[in-house]
Amino acid sequence: MAQGQIELEVLERDALTELVNIGVSRAAASLRKMVGEQVLLSVPSVEVVSRTGAAALIREREHGELVAVRQDFEGVFSGRALLIFPQANSLSLVHAVSGGALSPQETAEMEQEALAETGNVVLNSCLATMANMLQEPLTMSLPEVIRGDGLVLFNSSTQPGEEGVVLFLYINFAINDRDIRGYIAMLMDLPSLEALRRLIADFIARVTAD
Amino acid sequence: MVQSEAPVQESDAARQADAVARLRALGGPLFDAFSASGAALCVSDPSRTGEPIVFANAAFEALTGHKAVDLAGQSARILLSDASDPAVVAALEEDLERTKSARSDIQLRHGDGTPFWCRLAVTRLVDEVDQTAFHLSILSPIPPEQIEPHPPQEAAGTGARLGRPITGGAGAWEWDIASNVLVADVRFAALYGLDPAKAAAGLPASAFYEPMHPDDVLRMKIAVAGMMNGAEVFARDYRIVGPDGALRWVSARGRTWLDEGDRPIRFSGVLADITDQKRVEERLRVAQSAGGVGTFEYLSGFGTVEVSEQFCRLLGLHPADSLPVRTINSLVHADDPPLIGNWSEADVTQKAVRIRRANDGQERWLTVRGEHQAHAAGDGGSFTGVIYDVTDAKLAEARLRILTESLEESIVERTQERDRIWNLSRDLLFVASNQGRFTALNPAWSTVLGKDHNDLLGAMVTALIHPDDAEAARSHLRAAASQGIAAEFDCRMLGPDGDWRWISWTVTGEAGAIFGSGRDLTQRRALEDQLRQSQKMEAVGQLTGGIAHDFNNMLTGILGGIDMVRKRLQTGRPQDAERFLEAASQSGQRAAALTHRLLAFSRRQSLDTRATDVGALVASMSELMSRTMGEQVVVETSLPAELWHAAADPSQLESAILNLAINARDAMPRGGRLAISVANRTLGASDLDPAEAAKPGEYVEVSVSDTGMGMSRDVVAKVFEPFYTTKPIGQGTGLGLSMIYGYMQQLNGAVRIDSLEGKGTTVRLLLPRHSGAVETPSAPAGTPQQGRGETVLVVEDDPSVRLLVLQVLQELGYRGLEAPDADHALPLLASQDKIDLLVTDVGLPGLNGRQLAEIARESRPGLPVLFITGYALAAVDQTTFLDAGMQMITKPFDIDELGHRIGAMIAPSLN
Repeated sequence: MAQGQIELEVLERDALTELVNIGVSRAAASLRKMVGEQVLLSVPSVEVVSRTGAAALIREREHGELVAVRQDFEGVFSGRALLIFPQANSLSLVHAVSGGALSPQETAEMEQEALAETGNVVLNSCLATMANMLQEPLTMSLPEVIRGDGLVLFNSSTQPGEEGVVLFLYINFAINDRDIRGYIAMLMDLPSLEALRRLIADFIARVTAD
Repeated sequence: MVQSEAPVQESDAARQADAVARLRALGGPLFDAFSASGAALCVSDPSRTGEPIVFANAAFEALTGHKAVDLAGQSARILLSDASDPAVVAALEEDLERTKSARSDIQLRHGDGTPFWCRLAVTRLVDEVDQTAFHLSILSPIPPEQIEPHPPQEAAGTGARLGRPITGGAGAWEWDIASNVLVADVRFAALYGLDPAKAAAGLPASAFYEPMHPDDVLRMKIAVAGMMNGAEVFARDYRIVGPDGALRWVSARGRTWLDEGDRPIRFSGVLADITDQKRVEERLRVAQSAGGVGTFEYLSGFGTVEVSEQFCRLLGLHPADSLPVRTINSLVHADDPPLIGNWSEADVTQKAVRIRRANDGQERWLTVRGEHQAHAAGDGGSFTGVIYDVTDAKLAEARLRILTESLEESIVERTQERDRIWNLSRDLLFVASNQGRFTALNPAWSTVLGKDHNDLLGAMVTALIHPDDAEAARSHLRAAASQGIAAEFDCRMLGPDGDWRWISWTVTGEAGAIFGSGRDLTQRRALEDQLRQSQKMEAVGQLTGGIAHDFNNMLTGILGGIDMVRKRLQTGRPQDAERFLEAASQSGQRAAALTHRLLAFSRRQSLDTRATDVGALVASMSELMSRTMGEQVVVETSLPAELWHAAADPSQLESAILNLAINARDAMPRGGRLAISVANRTLGASDLDPAEAAKPGEYVEVSVSDTGMGMSRDVVAKVFEPFYTTKPIGQGTGLGLSMIYGYMQQLNGAVRIDSLEGKGTTVRLLLPRHSGAVETPSAPAGTPQQGRGETVLVVEDDPSVRLLVLQVLQELGYRGLEAPDADHALPLLASQDKIDLLVTDVGLPGLNGRQLAEIARESRPGLPVLFITGYALAAVDQTTFLDAGMQMITKPFDIDELGHRIGAMIAPSLN
């Protein structure tokens, strides 16, 4: 296990990955309707790391500026969700969701809006699905677009002093033959993670009952 | 690109050129990016009949095996093969019409004619007015197990289609979610160990989990639950236990199909056996982690690199399948080349770079090694390589280098020190070959011997050595060279002015060479000579002091006696004269004895060695000794019968015994016992010191013992040294024992002293036994016979001795002729005068007496010759000096003795 990671059982991780997969698939369906194009989203893996670990992970994988859509959530487990793209990829995403027929100026103008909307769809779908699957309600704040490097993203937490955990998920967007990579990060404190784990355990018990 | 067929017409060439120009204008810089892209892509023009190909890049050439130049203007259709599924082609066209892009897995025809699978994605490229200008086709190769089945158009055909295997290596399944029925093809059935017919007809969906390895079931149930609840993409590897019990790895890839309400209705996919792949992957993983080798693959122009887990670990990064080039290169030391990029032109590149590990900040050395694969002309190609940690080796190397450098430094330092010694030394230093030729010499050779040391290189070491010393030096050098024996020797070497310099050498041989160090002893020798000279002068001073004292006493006796006689003769009282003459004569005798002793000390006395009856000699002395010793000393003699005769000079022996007796008396001031004994002794080699003149054999021993105060060890060690004496000044010359020592050495005998302080001293004289017959000397008796006028030639440089001898001859009735030296004597000898006897001094100016006798005998054979000698080196051993008819008489001699000799020598010659 690399530095900064927190142990999560293999089955728990599989289940969490699958929950997020269901969520992003829902988001993909929504996006398909939105853009009228083939959209596939998948989450190949999930890791639980510390905040600094998450910053390091993203720093290693992405150079330069990042763009993120941020939404806070509250319920039986609470925290903050981030959908993160490299700056360069975000424009592709805007192009994809806007049908690719925009001038550069239009693209720039639309970027913020398109990102916020995409992020809202993806994150809402994920969290709502998880809440549904786990049979617990969650309330979501409005999306907000932020820019900066990994440290900025992960440190703009509401509880700055607290060293919470980050569920770190890779997400592959395949939109109309564009492959766009992004990340979903869910910042939670430890009690929330424990709550999530209990819910996951219930889910596992349910789906493997027969 | 897939449109109706039509022959390419003549005028198409111009339209083709126009199409290329339009594509360039539309694409701008993107067109160049397309050319260089690693993805296989081609552009076709759908506005023209047959949809001719306008452009194909290098990657496309490489993948399809068709040349871009051949394809240009050709219908895109020519890429379709007989194996291409018409249904797939139709679906593609339809999709393309409806949306802006389409994709499918399709079989195409390779340049060599064989069909191959690839994933085809076609996109419409629109111009400024949103009209379709071109179709962009992107091809990517896919392994058979990843081929996605064409989405089923209708559920009705499913069973029939699944009844046969749809792909080469993969089995397919369809899971109807509503009815929970699983339909699988033959290949799936074979992998799962199902009855193919039943599988085709449909099984309960729980069959999906049946052959699964128990450890994977839960995981797969979760994954399938995800699909049932809305996840769209399914990709899992898991293990199944086959009907034969063998464990196999399979890869399942699938997706769900949704109804209008976005609810999943069908879950389908393909299943491939990846056991071999897993095994290879596992081996590769083990090899990578065990060997610490990370792999990477980089496609030129891309911003990311495909990497292995071990690759990430080596860089201290989180495991990932791909990493940005910049992430990797940012860890590399500023002075080193980038880890990714900067490839050399060679096929294989190897470089060492330092990196700072991302997780712990440690600096490590990595070796990057890889191979470059060119895809096609103009393409940057790809680079596949490995990295591994060589920090330990580098550290060891660095340590070794530091060690080597410091070793070099210390060697240089030491060499400089040696050079300084070599150059500054005043000693002669050399290195020579085993053959004794100089191979190196230091500058001292110039200063000491005046030879340019460079000129001597190659010369023999012995070349400069004095001829008399050369042989000894050569043998030392040989021993040093052959046996490595260190040797020290002195020799003379030719100096700057042709003089000889004494050099003291230390030579040794090692490692096939001779090393030598020599010190100039000339000055030391000169000092030693001076010291010796001054010692000699001191010795002479002592000697003359002692002798002058004795001589003055004796001369007082002689001169006083003669004065008294003269006065008595003048006053007419001759009757008293006899007394004084006797006293003068005794003093003269003592003086003669003293000179004898001096000569004995110098071992230059003339010894009359003959068979001597030592016992008789001691017996004759006993009365004299008893008187000399005084009343307090008891003299005992032990003289056994059957004593051998010794080869000795009786008078010298007598003198020696007397000397020892006097020493013994002096050692017993309060009286004691003096024992003199004679015995036969046979000595072996162990009884003798090799330095002594004596050889093993038979000896006559004379032992003189006293019971006196004895001597300390120190004193015993010195008693034979000349002028060593324990007596007060004036009472002894210190010559006694040294004279005896010299005498015994000359006789080839030996002396032994045993002494204990307070217990007494024993001195033993070992005289060699006389071999041969014992002559009884006929003692001269009475007055010498009278001559009858025979002629005697007297050659003597001392006028007084000459006068004396002539006087004697005259009184005895001979006719005397005289000459002061040989020059005057030779004319007389050459004359016709009758000469009956030659009496000559041995030591003469010019020719000596012996040489004169030789010449005389040439003209007068058999002429008797009587030599008179005070001291003559050549005459020390009378037996070798004298021929037949020659005799010798030593000065001072007795007048009567001389008369007897002359008479005896003339008488036989007359007969």
